[in-house]
Amino acid sequence: MGDLFSNLHHGFTIALSLQNLGLAFLGCLVGTLIGVLPGVGPIATIAMLLPITFGLDPVGALIMLAGIYYGAQYGGSTTAILVNIPGEATSVVTTLDGHQMARQGRAGVALGIAAIGSFFAGTVATIVIAALGAPLTRLALVFGPAEYFSLMVLGLVFAVVLARGSILKAIAMILLGILLSTVGTDLETGEERMTFGLTILSDGIDFAVLAMGVFGIAEILRNLDHTESRDVVRQAIGRLLPSKEDFKQSIAPVLRGTAIGAALGILPGNGAVLGPFASYTVEKKIAKDPRRFGRGAIEGVAGPESANNAGAQTSFIPLLTLGIPPNAVMALMVGAMTIHGIIPGPQVMTKNPDLFWGMIASMWIGNLMLLIINLPLVGLWVRLLKVPYRLLFPAILMFCCIGIYSINSLPTDVMFIAFFGLVGYVIIKLGFEPAPMLLGFVLGKLMEENLRRALIISRGDMMTFLDRPVSGGLLALALILLVIALLPSIRKGRDEVFVE
Amino acid sequence: MSSVPERPVAQQRRGLIRGPQSLVGGLALIAVARLALYLSSDLSQGTLRAIGPGMLPRWLAMAVGFCGVVLVALAFIKDGDRIEPSTWRGPVFVALGIMAFALTIRPVAIDLAFGPLHIGPFTTPGLGMIIAGPLGMIIGGYATPEARLRDLVILGFGLTAFCMVLFGDLLNLPIPIFPQSLAQLFPADWSQKAILRATAALMALAAALVFFATHRDRTAPVDMPDHSGRI
Repeated sequence: MGDLFSNLHHGFTIALSLQNLGLAFLGCLVGTLIGVLPGVGPIATIAMLLPITFGLDPVGALIMLAGIYYGAQYGGSTTAILVNIPGEATSVVTTLDGHQMARQGRAGVALGIAAIGSFFAGTVATIVIAALGAPLTRLALVFGPAEYFSLMVLGLVFAVVLARGSILKAIAMILLGILLSTVGTDLETGEERMTFGLTILSDGIDFAVLAMGVFGIAEILRNLDHTESRDVVRQAIGRLLPSKEDFKQSIAPVLRGTAIGAALGILPGNGAVLGPFASYTVEKKIAKDPRRFGRGAIEGVAGPESANNAGAQTSFIPLLTLGIPPNAVMALMVGAMTIHGIIPGPQVMTKNPDLFWGMIASMWIGNLMLLIINLPLVGLWVRLLKVPYRLLFPAILMFCCIGIYSINSLPTDVMFIAFFGLVGYVIIKLGFEPAPMLLGFVLGKLMEENLRRALIISRGDMMTFLDRPVSGGLLALALILLVIALLPSIRKGRDEVFVE
Repeated sequence: MSSVPERPVAQQRRGLIRGPQSLVGGLALIAVARLALYLSSDLSQGTLRAIGPGMLPRWLAMAVGFCGVVLVALAFIKDGDRIEPSTWRGPVFVALGIMAFALTIRPVAIDLAFGPLHIGPFTTPGLGMIIAGPLGMIIGGYATPEARLRDLVILGFGLTAFCMVLFGDLLNLPIPIFPQSLAQLFPADWSQKAILRATAALMALAAALVFFATHRDRTAPVDMPDHSGRI
């Protein structure tokens, strides 16, 4: 326990330096600024803003990126409450009651409780990360290639179970994502795979380019299909600080949301996305009067928003301890770390304690910043949201182009975001979800590497994955999950959760 | 990422194809799988003991194709969603806008051959942000039928100036700012940064000029919410 606090203290001395504090502030601010644009979620925001951290030292860069991430998350919630457009899957739930509150002239309270709930959840999640970081890292050191492979299979199964809509389509998307990750030079033999003979593909498909295309450009195209029907709240924003009554109603949902979100966020395979849904369902189930939900119940904002933020933060755990990115955002973090010469994994904590603990401390600071800067700036965000989409989307387009160009200074990267944008648009039109594809892509390379390594060690014996107890256990868990998800009764319940 | 939950179609649809979306989706997956199988056909499979570069792509392609076949089959068995109509305008103009940006930001060597059709070799002129920014935004802006040239020009100039200062000046990112041939226009003793700032100022000025030159009395009242933002 004393270890934990001395580590946290060490982290805070780093994160509280004037420069890092400034970077956290700047990150939160620009993250919110971009994230608040309708249809721009955290993934597109981070991909766009990744280049601005290139000139910094690694610690500063990651602190700023974490700030951008939280800013983008909170920006998404702001858009969800004020305009009823969720920036990404996790803020879908917030639109239900948040926007209704806004229509009743209580937008300020909704934003306020979202920020306060998120801050509380962030504080708890920071402690969870700090506490679990060391033991999980020790666990990771006993993981061999077979265990890593099985863990990633489990993660992908989670992603299938958590995806909305058809399970078959989710599996297809994950397989497609892994297939895309095999494009490029084969690591062991140096042979080029499926590159069409193009030199730009010999390094493989750049993750930021894929993410920007599928989540930035495709989202613009999707929004253009719907005629503008943004109903920006016309009522006054109202007071921001929730009243005593509001607090009383929200405390329990915030606590429950934090616990649910933090637990789900640790799971590999983007468990964080389930947090808000689960929290909303729980609140609705145990409410005295469930009919209030969907009509501006403050519990329906407080719980899911806390769960969202707790999950967003604890999803750093698989990345920092095991080196496995559990979702697309974390995959971008891997990209950023690699650029700065840090290979995410168990050795980060021992080799780069400054980075590890500094980043954890800055998570808490980032949450505090959001609370401080966002509430006074709500007016600015409202004004930004009133800009018609016909002017907003060219600006988003421009940021996408410049952002992706400045990562590698390659015009071909810019062309590829157009290509993947069209691909993503078709994918959405055909009823597939792009998120599992991205996760498959993220884990694909790691999976292949570990699969081949494990089979070399076992001399081609596939049983190695089942014989080793940890690996076998993980695979069994994956199988059980998949079977449960396919059971008709559970399927019905799952559909209900997502239809909420 | 769809915000609208998928609703199963309630009414029974007549005809052979009951889930058009699944049918097209399945066919698309099969097409992708075939392409991947074709592309990885020259890669060695290897053995389990030493997996070759071709093994995983081939397995994955077959699995993707299998999903496609099942989806196609389901399209005839189960009622599913239809494909939402879409306009061509959005994708075409957005793609053109991005391409315009990519081709003008810096010199790009183009040498493509599609069978008998041969494009190039030639190099596009690197025009820098000053052209690429507004060009991309104006072309892309036409993706919506509500586009207005005046607004797009102002936005294009203004935002490009902003991005030049933000990315080039404050963040020191190596983005070409203006055509190399124009570099001599500036006094020789000006630094790169000074040129950048002067160009950005000119762009902002141009945006302001267009704004005021074409300014008409606004008829629509601007509604401003009360956002005192006090806590």
